[in-house]
This record gives sequence, C-alpha cells and structure tokens, in this order.
Amino acid sequence: MTTGAIIFMALSWTFVLGLVSWAYYRLLTHKKHHDPDGIGPAAPPEAAAKKNYN
Amino acid sequence: MSDDKSQGSTSHEAWGSRIGLILAMAGNAVGLGNFLRFPRQAAVNGGGSFMITYFIALLLLGIPLMWIEWGVGRNGGRFRKGHLPGMFAAIWKHPAAKYLGVIGMIIPLTVMIYYTYIESWTLAFSYFSITKDYWGNTTQEAMVGYLQTYQGIAPGSSHMTALGFFLVTLAINIWVLSRGISGGIEKLARIGMPILFVFAVILAVVVLFLPPGPGGETAWQGLQFIYNPDFSRLDEPGVWLASAGQIFFTLSVGMGSLQAYASYLSKKDDIALNGIATAATNETAEVILGGTIAIPAAVVFFGVTGAMAVAQSGSFNLGFATMPVVFQQLPLGNVLGFMWFALLFFAGITSSVAMLTPIVAFFREEFGFKREIVAWSFGLVALLFGLMNIFWLEYGFLDEWDYWAGTFGLVLLAVTETVLFMWVFKPENAWASIHQGADIQIPKIFKFVMTYVTPVYLLFILGWWGFQDAIPILTNEKAAGGGVLTPEMHPYVTGARLIIVGFAVIFAFLVRIAWKRNKYDDRAGFVEVDQSGRTTV
Repeated sequence: MTTGAIIFMALSWTFVLGLVSWAYYRLLTHKKHHDPDGIGPAAPPEAAAKKNYN
Repeated sequence: MSDDKSQGSTSHEAWGSRIGLILAMAGNAVGLGNFLRFPRQAAVNGGGSFMITYFIALLLLGIPLMWIEWGVGRNGGRFRKGHLPGMFAAIWKHPAAKYLGVIGMIIPLTVMIYYTYIESWTLAFSYFSITKDYWGNTTQEAMVGYLQTYQGIAPGSSHMTALGFFLVTLAINIWVLSRGISGGIEKLARIGMPILFVFAVILAVVVLFLPPGPGGETAWQGLQFIYNPDFSRLDEPGVWLASAGQIFFTLSVGMGSLQAYASYLSKKDDIALNGIATAATNETAEVILGGTIAIPAAVVFFGVTGAMAVAQSGSFNLGFATMPVVFQQLPLGNVLGFMWFALLFFAGITSSVAMLTPIVAFFREEFGFKREIVAWSFGLVALLFGLMNIFWLEYGFLDEWDYWAGTFGLVLLAVTETVLFMWVFKPENAWASIHQGADIQIPKIFKFVMTYVTPVYLLFILGWWGFQDAIPILTNEKAAGGGVLTPEMHPYVTGARLIIVGFAVIFAFLVRIAWKRNKYDDRAGFVEVDQSGRTTV
C-alpha cells in the first residue's frame, strides 16, 4: 500500500472506531440518570430540562 | 396479549431494552448496501477522495438526519403515531401535513416488496453455497449466467426456484413483524446482528490474510484500491453526490422506518446518544467490514484491472458472481460462501422487517386492527406485487421501483421531514425535543447544520438527481437501471409507475378516512397520550 492510502485508511478507521467506541462507552458506563426500563434516562439532563418545547 | 382498541387509541408497544433498540435500529440501517454498494462506490469514485466527501456527508447529512428522524418519530410517539401522516400532522397543524406523510407510507411498502425479493437471493445463495450448487462455475461470466438462470431471465430458465425462496423469505419477514416490536423485531436484531458481525469479521480476516493471487496481488492492494487518495477528483460533483447518496442509503434515512421505531420511545428516553450509536454501528459495518471483504477479495483473484471491471459492472455482480468465484478457490469455500450470503441475509432481513412497521402502526393506531392481521394482509400484498418483480425483472420493473421509491423518494421524504421538523416546528423546538431525556449534549453547531446545511444539501441532491436522472427516466429517454429503455420495456415501466401512483392514491384515501373516523382536528392537533403506562407486547 502507498503511504497516502495507509494514511487515508488509518484516518477513516480511527474516526469510525473512535466514534463507535465513544458511543458504546457512553451507553454502557455513563449512566448518570436513573434508567428503569433500560432504554434511556428517566430524567433529562439539566440543560434539556430547562427547555420546554411544547 | 391483544391490546387493540378503537378510535386510534391502541396501546403502544415498547422496546424491551436499550441495547435491543440500538441493535434493531442498527439492523434497520445495516443492509445489503453496506457490503455491496459501499466498496463499489469507493472504488469507482476516487478512493481517498470519496472517503473525504463520504465523511463530510456523514457529518452534514447522515448524522443530522438520523437525529431529525429519531426526533420526528419520538415526537409522533407522544401522540401514539407510529406513521408519517400522524407524525407530520403532529408537527404541522395544517390539513396538508397528513397527506405529505403519505410519502412515508408509499416508500417503505414499495421498497420492502422488491428488497425482500433481493434478500431472498441471499437466502438462496446461502443454501447454494453450503450445498456447493454453483461449484463448477469458476468464471465471472459463468456465475452471471448462474445468477440469471436462478432469476429466470436466462433463455429457457424457470422462475420457480426464485419464487420458492421469495415465499420463504417473505413468510419469515411477516412472521417476525407479526410478533411485534419487542417479541419479533428486537429478538431478530438480538440474534441477527451479532451473527452478522461475527461472520463479517471472520470473512474480513480471511480476506486480509489470503495468499497472493494468480497475478501476485494481495488484499492490501485491494485496500489501496479503495483508499488511494486521488485528490484530482474532489472537484467532481459526481463524487460528492455519490458519497452523499451512499450515506443516504446506508443509514436508511428517508424511509419512514427509523421514525416508526423511534415512536415506541417515551419522551423520557434518550435519542441523542442512541442516534449517534446507531450511525456509528452502521459505519463500522460499512467502512471497516464492508470495505475489507468484497473488493480486496476481488483484487486478489482478478487483479486491480479485473476488480475495477467487476466494480463497474454493478453491486450484484460483485456479490453474487465475483464472490462465489472467489469462494470456490478457497479451502472451506462453501462454509465461507454460506457465511457471506448469510450475513447479507441478516443485513437484509433486519432492514426489511422495519419497512412495514409504519404501515402496521397506521392500521393498528387508526383503525384498531390487530397487528397480526395487518402484517399477514400486507404479506399478501407484498406477495402479489413481489410476483411482478420476479416475473418482470428483465423488463426493468424492479429498477423502476428502485429509482422512484428507493432513490428519488428517499431524498424527497428527507427534504420534506427536515423542512417540517427544523423550519415549521422551529429549530428551538426541534433542538429541545431531541434533547429531552438526552444522555449527551449535541454540539450546538449541529443546530445550525440541521437548520440550514442539511436541507440545502438535500435540496441540491434532489435538484441534481431530478435534472440528471428523474426527467430523462420519466420521459423514457433512459432506463431507471441504466442503459437504453427498449420498446418492449415500456408497458412494464409504465405499469410500475402507475402502481406507485395507485399506492399514493389509496394511502391518501385511507388517511382521509382515518382522520374522519377518529374525528381529528387538523388545526387543533392530537391529544398527547400518557406514556407512563407503556406495555411491552
């Protein structure tokens, strides 16, 4: 492989694997909210709670 | 078990777990395109240049649309609307809104019918691989002939084998769908997605460590073929459109199914992190695994020139002709071939079961029909129109549906929902809606992107494709599948278009009846449903 191709492949794979690792790390470890049904937080974070879109 | 009530108030289904939800959403997104379309597009559109434009499209188009669709869907779920007519009416209190949502009924139904037929090829070829049925067809041309004989389009061949596998595939789809969100779709995703990833990883490792082929090429040269940075192509609009189109297809946006899945969430559930996790899972399947299997394997056995010819001949030739030739030359090739087609089958079925979800939701919520009855009824509809795709394949019937519903229609729906959610619903409301219950704070730049950049990007694609393809196809200057439209194809192509128009008229009529039956007031909107009493069905 040429250096350019290696760089592009490395950047692409790093971006994708970094994104998926970060997302699943947050999903599996950062349970900052009570999560009774396992789907998501029961209470919204403060930033969102201050807003009421309805 | 039965939870149906009248007057558009059937109790809502729900996801059983967060990981099940993400696997189902990712299963919806990961499809045949991840393993067949992506490597081909990357190879023929400048490799590294394509990857640059691909990731820009992911950030400006794919991920924002993912959040928009989760937002539209979850907002619809507040009013127990799992279908686009209801979701659009919840956003825009105008009589026209529900009819715009009809686009989100036609597209998933039409795409599901022909997609299930293509999916049935993967089931058939899984069987043909393990039984070594195609063994002996050791050239690309011979395998194309084998595929055409299976499809019944080779001279003297029969459609019966293809019909049989289509019936089995359709029955599995409808059975899963009839089991409901938690009991059917989520369970399928929990089984199918791990199998898909395990098979894909095994195949990727096998391909990477293949010994040099007849011409001395290795899989790493195949990767070079995909990732080679050719910056001279960055100024070609075609490369930008190809990458935007790939992002569009790979994430299954503009279909109506993501929104339907998201409608089964409560307003307390996260959609921001779930949305990005879904997109990231799909990208892993596509960029890491999809890019490492088919094209690198083709380069090893056919050389760079041969692989380029294969890539340019189309995705199906790559998957159903080139790969079987490769498997025949490998130890345990029948097992590897089975794994290849099985992973395509699981990629396909986790997408196709999602497509009828909004249709089932519409009839359950607005007419009180039981889920099983709607699912099996539409199974019959899919069978009827699926037969047309099988018997009229050679006349461009499937290609016509694929263009109008599976290509142009997706962009049309995405433009419509983006404008409604970000402009009519207002950016502030959309932003707050996406962040309700959110586990993460989305960077604020995305509010600007979703409000201005994504819709402009979509409108540009719609306009370009409309000018370049839609008008010539509509005026019969060229065939939807490429090439020339012969006079004998005209009746079939016209029939394919009329059926889509027929679907639109019927769904618009049903929407009108539903609104009258349930006494909905377009200007007042729906009454929010208490989601605290969700039941898992």
